[in-house]
Amino acid sequence: MEEDLPIILSAKGLGKRLSLGDNTLTILSGIDLEIKAGESLALVGASGSGKTTLLGLLAGLDTPSEGEVTFEGQPFSGESEDTRARRRAESIAFVFQNFQLLGALTALENVMIPLELAGRGDAKGLAQSYLERVGLADRAGHTPRQLSGGEQQRVALARAFAAQPRLLFADEPTGNLDQATGRRIADLLFTLNAEAGTTLVLVTHDLGLAARCDRALTLEGGRLRVTEADAS
Amino acid sequence: MTEGLPRQMLRRQWRGVELRLLAAALLLAITTVTGISLFVDRLERALVLEASAFLAADRRLEGREAPPAAWEADAQAQGLATARTLSFSSMAFSDLEALLVSVQAVSPTYPLRGILKTAKDPYAPGTPETQTPAPGTVWVEPRVLLTLGLELGATLDLGAASFRIDRVLTATPDQGGAFLLAPRVLMALEDVPATQVVRPGARVSHALLLAGPEPALERFREALPEDLEARFDFEDVRSGNRSLGRALERAERFLRLGGLMAVILACLAVGLAATRFAHQQADTVAVLKTLGSPSGRIRRLYLGQLFQLAGLVTLVALALAYAVQAGLFQLLSAYVPVTLPPPGWAPLVLGAGTGWVCLLAFALPPILRLEAVSPVRVLRRDLAGLGPQGPVLRFAGVGTLLALLFWYAGSFELAGWVLLGLGGTGTLFAVLALALLRSGRVLGMQAGKAWRLGLAALSRRQGASVVQMLVFGAALMLLLTLTALRGSLLDSWRAQLPEGSPNYFVLNLDSADRTAFSDALEDLAVAPQPAFPMTRGRITAVNGNALDPRAGRAAARLTEERNLSWSGALPEGNEVVAGRWWDETAPAPGLSLEADFAESVGLALGDELVLEVGDQRFEVPLVALRRVAWDSLRPNFFIVLSPGLLAERDATYLTSFFLDAAQASRLPELLRAFPSVSIIAIDGLLNQLQQIIARVSLAVEVVLVLVLLAGALVLLASIQSSMDERLAEYGLLRALGGTRRRLLGALTIEFATLGVFAGLLAALGASVIIWALETQLFGLPQQSHGALWLWGPALGLATILSLGLGATRKVVQVAPLRVLREHGA
Repeated sequence: MEEDLPIILSAKGLGKRLSLGDNTLTILSGIDLEIKAGESLALVGASGSGKTTLLGLLAGLDTPSEGEVTFEGQPFSGESEDTRARRRAESIAFVFQNFQLLGALTALENVMIPLELAGRGDAKGLAQSYLERVGLADRAGHTPRQLSGGEQQRVALARAFAAQPRLLFADEPTGNLDQATGRRIADLLFTLNAEAGTTLVLVTHDLGLAARCDRALTLEGGRLRVTEADAS
Repeated sequence: MTEGLPRQMLRRQWRGVELRLLAAALLLAITTVTGISLFVDRLERALVLEASAFLAADRRLEGREAPPAAWEADAQAQGLATARTLSFSSMAFSDLEALLVSVQAVSPTYPLRGILKTAKDPYAPGTPETQTPAPGTVWVEPRVLLTLGLELGATLDLGAASFRIDRVLTATPDQGGAFLLAPRVLMALEDVPATQVVRPGARVSHALLLAGPEPALERFREALPEDLEARFDFEDVRSGNRSLGRALERAERFLRLGGLMAVILACLAVGLAATRFAHQQADTVAVLKTLGSPSGRIRRLYLGQLFQLAGLVTLVALALAYAVQAGLFQLLSAYVPVTLPPPGWAPLVLGAGTGWVCLLAFALPPILRLEAVSPVRVLRRDLAGLGPQGPVLRFAGVGTLLALLFWYAGSFELAGWVLLGLGGTGTLFAVLALALLRSGRVLGMQAGKAWRLGLAALSRRQGASVVQMLVFGAALMLLLTLTALRGSLLDSWRAQLPEGSPNYFVLNLDSADRTAFSDALEDLAVAPQPAFPMTRGRITAVNGNALDPRAGRAAARLTEERNLSWSGALPEGNEVVAGRWWDETAPAPGLSLEADFAESVGLALGDELVLEVGDQRFEVPLVALRRVAWDSLRPNFFIVLSPGLLAERDATYLTSFFLDAAQASRLPELLRAFPSVSIIAIDGLLNQLQQIIARVSLAVEVVLVLVLLAGALVLLASIQSSMDERLAEYGLLRALGGTRRRLLGALTIEFATLGVFAGLLAALGASVIIWALETQLFGLPQQSHGALWLWGPALGLATILSLGLGATRKVVQVAPLRVLREHGA
């Protein structure tokens, strides 16, 4: 990895606590990390280790109880929800385990949404071309219910890359798919990511998938543990 | 986000059940409100129109002198229709005989409301008449022809003028107001001077009749001088006829109450459907926010959808409501003989307005909470739901409901009672519902598998179950309240006019003829009613002070010559409200007045009154005030004397009897045998009253059906609210091996129990509300409503079970895998 690449995302002293009645549950604490532009990073760990919570904080979907997240050199986690939303619209994309397509819209319309939110012209043409790239040009008019799980995740990939984000978060992108489909989706994800040069933060408990990233960080009980992949 | 997205999403989301349910709730809300308003509006207008026929006008200005021409011009300038009448008694002569008649001279525009009916033969049924008697002619009641031995075309002399008898008068609209001693003669107003009968000081009654829109009538009334009451009576339908006035007032209250119940249910349904829609949309909002949509855009997106939907629904609902009420009236046209006034715009505005108020107060708050959904929901669905409900939003619904309640009730008293009933029973319901649920759970533990499953489902969703029981119970309670009230209101109306009520009044029966007349009635197999002595007299002095009729309205009313009677016993249907009735066996001289009359002329117990009857004068103390059941259609008197003050020969007798229509043809026999007797048919009056009552019950039925629909929708919306949870649970149970049959059994037990519990609560609530409304508001005697306790649970069981199973059938039909994939997360 090149040392002089700029840092796109960093977290300092990040923690998240939930109060449950009288008790406080610590989900994450003392997370420090830096992600360089163009890098691909895997966050691995057992169920309940706090991977998904960390992804939510890094992506500005949730706010930390302590510490801060900086995105492209600007404060991020302390900003208002609308400001964070605007910056997500400009630079960040997502792929989720359960696809998160809008059931009321067609595949094409789903891909168009982030383009329209970012104010891109020719949202329709761009969305169409990305659907072609994931091999679903002929399913553009179908709603998510008419698509299989693998097809839905391909639409989600088209939606993520069509916006030409600088940062992509993927939360267990193959978790809801059978092994063969999952492998094909992972191939597509890494291919598109390599073509676009996007920074990738991948949350997974699949070590094989994590191994395809530049480095991996392991979460245990809400804290980061340095892994062999990172050490190497 | 493009501006077209709301419409795009609206179109797509239309495929989902949530938006359809919201639209259906709104559609039913607006259709129900508009439909009821249109129907009630038209029916009220028809009722008022029909009731106005009793006055032959909307308002009637009546006095001893002619109302000034300037007032009539003023009324016409306000756009009101006017007519004049002049009533007086006179002797009418044929060549050989004379008869006292009651003459009504009318202007050509008479009557402004109701219809005249005439015939060509004394015993033919009348047909509607559009004209009034032409100058030089008169129309007479059959009795004039029979008594004077005349036929149509003959000449009748009135005072100095002669008239040709042109028609037989069978009905005049304002005949119900007075029981006239003498048969009626109708003539043209312009012929009156020629008779030379009406001279200064003569006892005549002038009336200016008015008809037109209510605001114009009000303006006209306000422009009249303040001392009007001293010289004129200004009557409307209510003051003109007491029993009808009360019936109308009750009808209006009832219809308003029905409208109000429908509004409350519709609002509940809209609120439930919108909350459900909002919960369904939380995921979408989280995704949109994750993709970078700020809160403002989310708000615009959903308000855009909501308003586009509401706009479309409003148009459809208004058209539907219009069609529904038009269809209803078309179906009913055979039973509704009067031409109904077309519906106005006001109900459409009211319906649409209420719909949107309901939308803003009940659908908007949950939709606005959507913008607060956190994007983190895409990762952890359980963490972030709808935003909190701010105090303003929380009170929007309650405040709006209160405002609507007062607006619809039109009276703080009515709204207050309904509110008290709803609020009080609501709290009690929640406590009782919880207790019932707990007892059900305990019982369920001892019962079979399906029972355990069904009852466990009820108590696991304890909060939702209590809310559902409240809603179901409230809907049922309203239905029971309406049904029971309708029954008791109609019963009390019918009780006022029992089967076999006298339909003929007999006047001028000489004391010497009483026995013979009674025998003649027995020959007709008719039971004679009690006979009352009757004479005419006037009060001339109070406590030693002579009264001057010109001193004011009260003195004028007091000194007017009136019918009076005497009786040892208190007449049936009378109640002494102040003072004491005299001893029946040894009565001391005394006089009793009708309480309202005494109050209006300023007389009090103990006043010494001088009474002038014919050439006799005597002083008598006022010893008792009576309340009189005017509804009863029995002979009633303002003034009743103790017996012994007047001799029997001083009076003629008044009695009544019931003769069925089949025997009516034998009346002429009776009339010929007793030529001095006047027999007045009050069938017309009875029929008019009964028609009004029939129409009121019809309106009540329709309102009831619409309320029932609104209630059913609330049920469905409320069941839909629990669908996600049910799908997940039953999907899991089926995956674990639960058979359809057992799960269906559990659903049946769940909804049946819910129905019976809700029915019990409803019966309790309805009993309380009915008691309050009946005894405190409508002034009806307390009645037993034991059947509520049977009908409540039975209706609850039938309705909730069928609607519940219908709506949740899907949970045992959809493949368990699909259910788990879609709803198990």
